Amino acid sequence: MRPKRPSIDSVTTINEDGSRYMVHPAGVRGFWTRTRRIFGYLALAAFVLLPLVPVGGHPAVFLDIAGRKFHLFGLTLMFQDLWLLFFLITGLGFTLFLVTAIIGRVWCGWLCPQTLFLDHVVRRIERVIEGDAPVRRQLDSAPWTAGKIFKRALKHALFFLFAALVAHVFLSYFVSVPGLWGMMHASPLANWHLFLFVFGMAAALYFDFAWFREQFCIVLCPYGRLQSALIDDHSIVVGYDEKRGEPRGKAGTTTGDCIDCRRCVQVCPTGIDIRQGLQMECIACEACIDACDEVMVRIGRKPGLVRHDSLNALAGKASRFLRPRLYLYLVFALLGASVFLFAATQVRPVLLYVSRLPGAPYIRADGIVRNNFLMRLGNKLSGEETFRVQVRAAQPGLESVGATQKPITLGPGEEIQEPIILTVPDEIFRGEFPVTVEIVNSAGTVVNRREIPFLGPFREGAFAQ
Amino acid sequence: MNPNEHPTHNAGEHDDDALRPHTYDGIQEYDKRLPNWWLFTLYGAILFSVGYWAYYHWTGHMQQGWVRVQSEIEAVKLAALGKGEPPSSLQLYNFGKDEKIVAAGQKTFNTTCAACHGEDLKGGIGQNLVDATWIHGGTPMDIFNTINNGVTEKGMPSWGPLLGQQRIAEVVAYIVSKNPTIAQPAE
Repeated sequence: MRPKRPSIDSVTTINEDGSRYMVHPAGVRGFWTRTRRIFGYLALAAFVLLPLVPVGGHPAVFLDIAGRKFHLFGLTLMFQDLWLLFFLITGLGFTLFLVTAIIGRVWCGWLCPQTLFLDHVVRRIERVIEGDAPVRRQLDSAPWTAGKIFKRALKHALFFLFAALVAHVFLSYFVSVPGLWGMMHASPLANWHLFLFVFGMAAALYFDFAWFREQFCIVLCPYGRLQSALIDDHSIVVGYDEKRGEPRGKAGTTTGDCIDCRRCVQVCPTGIDIRQGLQMECIACEACIDACDEVMVRIGRKPGLVRHDSLNALAGKASRFLRPRLYLYLVFALLGASVFLFAATQVRPVLLYVSRLPGAPYIRADGIVRNNFLMRLGNKLSGEETFRVQVRAAQPGLESVGATQKPITLGPGEEIQEPIILTVPDEIFRGEFPVTVEIVNSAGTVVNRREIPFLGPFREGAFAQ
Repeated sequence: MNPNEHPTHNAGEHDDDALRPHTYDGIQEYDKRLPNWWLFTLYGAILFSVGYWAYYHWTGHMQQGWVRVQSEIEAVKLAALGKGEPPSSLQLYNFGKDEKIVAAGQKTFNTTCAACHGEDLKGGIGQNLVDATWIHGGTPMDIFNTINNGVTEKGMPSWGPLLGQQRIAEVVAYIVSKNPTIAQPAE
């Protein structure tokens, strides 16, 4: 069976009658394939290692939903700190915008989990078991012999095994690796909802690996569609040099460099012909670059007929690097990143609120002026900690009773409310003044502070201070 | 874009395909068939909605929203009735003999009241609670009301909204257990 010829007017992998056409991308070798594969394996290793490697006593990434704590590379966020992630995520999002505007869909080709799993694991397994594209196409239409059944069963078993592995690693981001290990040794009924989640995710991934594949990128993925708004004619994309390649034809018969060998079409995992220009199916996997370069070198022509370049440069026009959209994306990316970094340094290991107790704002009796406050103190650390509460003010004669009198020991996540009663002798009270309430940990470091106003009767000259 | 104007060779293979009549900024689109798997999810969702609708309305396994809200309102009303009933002096006095309630009251007293009334209850900024002198009434219910409502002009906050009736009752029980001058009330 001859492979289908791609058309610019329709999606190759969807037939005229709506049925699915399975693309069998041929194997390819070259600089980009090799580099991308090494990078891909590193990225896959990072995916597995992030919930495994400890940073500051916790896994590098541990989104502990049950404990409502989120550990990110040593930074621990309680669920009330989660607003921070808005800036982290928008910062990362706009960084992606920026990168896309400069070098196109590099995310899709190099870092997207879908591509990492498909290109570096699933298609590798398929190729080892069933052979290269023409052999696989033959096997598709071959009758069901014992050999075909064995190959297919082995391939699908390995696909499901890999899908289950990915699902388990994914779950370990939320329950930690020891947590996952414990669950795997318990009855499935003990954590039946998580068991169902992992099974469902493994099933969905298996379906993706075994059948769905590039349909995800072409039809489902919203980011693939966002590209058209992010890329302009100055962005570097994977493109075919039409001016150099056309008119195409057998070597010696035309002036164009393209010999129409169709290698670029055979290796394409989404079934397009890159010579028809930039298309939404292209995930920038660079297989066609390596395929074409190999042929060009073999027939003694200059490589780079298919290469990374901007649409303007490929059309022989001037290409600009700095454009308004770059500045815009950069500003938004930096905004997100700087707000996140600033706010992350402001995250305190203890929660502290001091509010005035209900009743009179101040009390004058027995020669003293008194203010009543209620302090809320919470321990956001992962272990038990003993805190001291101290008050400081410029006003002499300030005395305090209540929470400041003895150390307070709080377990992880524990929160208490205690009054702080502040007094100043009436005859030396000079008027309203600020009081700083400080929380000191067992190491003697001030870990959080709040300022509260001490109120009292009006005194001459109080506003002159 | 008109496919016939496309510069590359393979274009125009599908000239017989119907073009949709609309044109935006010179862009037109073909009337292509949707992928079968996509249509399958649509038909699947329609079938699911019929089954779900039948299950929701006729099996009784799932409570409908308004039924659930009504039962929740009833539960809240019931709980409010039980909590809203003020204790009696005798009840509070008897609480003072219950070790568990006294221990709970002591914990609240030490974190909340001891700042002014002292951990030994002998007073400080606040009044002495273990002598026989009571400014705002010395029956357990009087003490309960003083804590609950506060004495604003003397700087005693109203603890009702902060502590709640149960914890105030426990604190009263603790004071009763520490002050032998409080007599057993008639009721």
